[in-house]
Amino acid sequence: MQLSRLFAIVAILVSLLSTSRAFAADDDAGAPADTSAQPGPAPEGSDARAPAPEGEADGGAPVAPEPGETTAPKSTSNITARASIDVGGYADSTATTVLTPSLSGTVESPTAGWAINGRYLVDVVSAASPDIVSTASPHWNEVRHAGNLGFRYKPKTFGVAANASTSYTPDYLSLSAGAQLTQELDDKNLTLVEGYGYGRDTIGRTGTPFSVFSHELEYHSISLGASRVVNQGLVIGLFGDAVLERGDQSKPYRYIPIFTPDVAATIPAGASASLVASSRMQARPLEQLPLERDRFAVTARLAWRGDSTTLRFEERGYTDSWGLRASTTDARYFIDLGRRVMIWPHGRFHVQNGVDFWKRAYSATSVHDLPALRTGDRELGPLFTAGGGGGLRIALGNAGALDDVAFTTTLDGFYTAFSDAIYVKERFSALVTTGLEVRF
Amino acid sequence: MTSRTLGNGALVTLVAFALSALPLAGCTHVKPWERGKLAHPTMAGPNLPGPAEEHVYSVQEGAVGGGASAESGCGCN
Repeated sequence: MQLSRLFAIVAILVSLLSTSRAFAADDDAGAPADTSAQPGPAPEGSDARAPAPEGEADGGAPVAPEPGETTAPKSTSNITARASIDVGGYADSTATTVLTPSLSGTVESPTAGWAINGRYLVDVVSAASPDIVSTASPHWNEVRHAGNLGFRYKPKTFGVAANASTSYTPDYLSLSAGAQLTQELDDKNLTLVEGYGYGRDTIGRTGTPFSVFSHELEYHSISLGASRVVNQGLVIGLFGDAVLERGDQSKPYRYIPIFTPDVAATIPAGASASLVASSRMQARPLEQLPLERDRFAVTARLAWRGDSTTLRFEERGYTDSWGLRASTTDARYFIDLGRRVMIWPHGRFHVQNGVDFWKRAYSATSVHDLPALRTGDRELGPLFTAGGGGGLRIALGNAGALDDVAFTTTLDGFYTAFSDAIYVKERFSALVTTGLEVRF
Repeated sequence: MTSRTLGNGALVTLVAFALSALPLAGCTHVKPWERGKLAHPTMAGPNLPGPAEEHVYSVQEGAVGGGASAESGCGCN
């Protein structure tokens, strides 16, 4: 809660700063036209958020502004800094709430091609497993701290980036690092990217030192991809990811109900906690997952820009060595409503089957005959999620530098159907985020 | 979700990939001074979702991947 207060104080200070800057600015009416070359949001890690140096691209040729834009004023410094504060709030029908405040910052030199960025966030989770909810037991609470640091350098057509991240809760420690190489070809109309990452997680129990009890999970990730400029307003890309996980990632709190074979066949999807409790065998072993998992994904991405709108579309196909296959579709359509305001609807659909060892109700004839692999993780079972919502971004900066201060908010709702799980058949969830970014 | 439905999902994925490859046949060589639209911030970067949104997806979905990016376009440096 101390951290929450700290975030609140920082948010208020940033809000006051942005408000004063906005009101000090000339009103748009009668003021010179916006000279910002980038009226939209600036996704982290994007080169495009950096202004084109003095109106020239790499080849020294003048860059034609979009209709309605004028030439940006010359900057006195080629180093820029940005800071942002974001707060996310999540709630769902299985009695889980998450508050996620975060702080992030970036210092970069667009002309020299380098940037350093970092983020720190906290997840304040209040949750209860569905069986606990059904018996009105109290929630459990958890606070997760996470941070990452990144660096990238791309002076010309070849670039390198590196990052490191960590996440900590009393029962889970995650450390990871990675690097990425980028090569632009064909006069920057074709870009190739390859990356490697390594991570190590330590999974334990709250109140028990990792040295006394813990599982280790290591993972290596490899990514390859390419994007291609199709024309003046269209970019497409194809990316592949492989993640090789080694270790025991079973949850040490997750107990699996076991039924005799004849009873297991009668347990319906969405069976209540009381039915499960009255039907299961005495034995209630912990979850046990395979010790290796190889995961593969291919993602196609499309970005199209019209006169005042942008379509972003993404389709991901996924498969892994546990037998889980999935398809995820995500689309956003950004609409400029003047120079200060942009809105976008957003849709997402995800569908997957279950892992090979998924069972709604695991069965055994005795405690000596328990299934070797067993899980109660609904996200490893068959499901689909459909979601939608939208976002709003308001540029609050001075005329001529509208994007020096920007406020962003999003609202999304999701419906998930679990077709073959006990306790829960469906879930409704909502996510609200707000963010304020200041550029110096 | 039945395996038949998932099969449909895989088919949709395949079709999407095929459709996304079609424009390659008509690629034009875009000059640096023709990149005004490509330089728009909404055109760049894979990380349109913020950290909270990404976390939700990582928890609610059994799949991973798709975070890599390679932009072609703005000619910012």
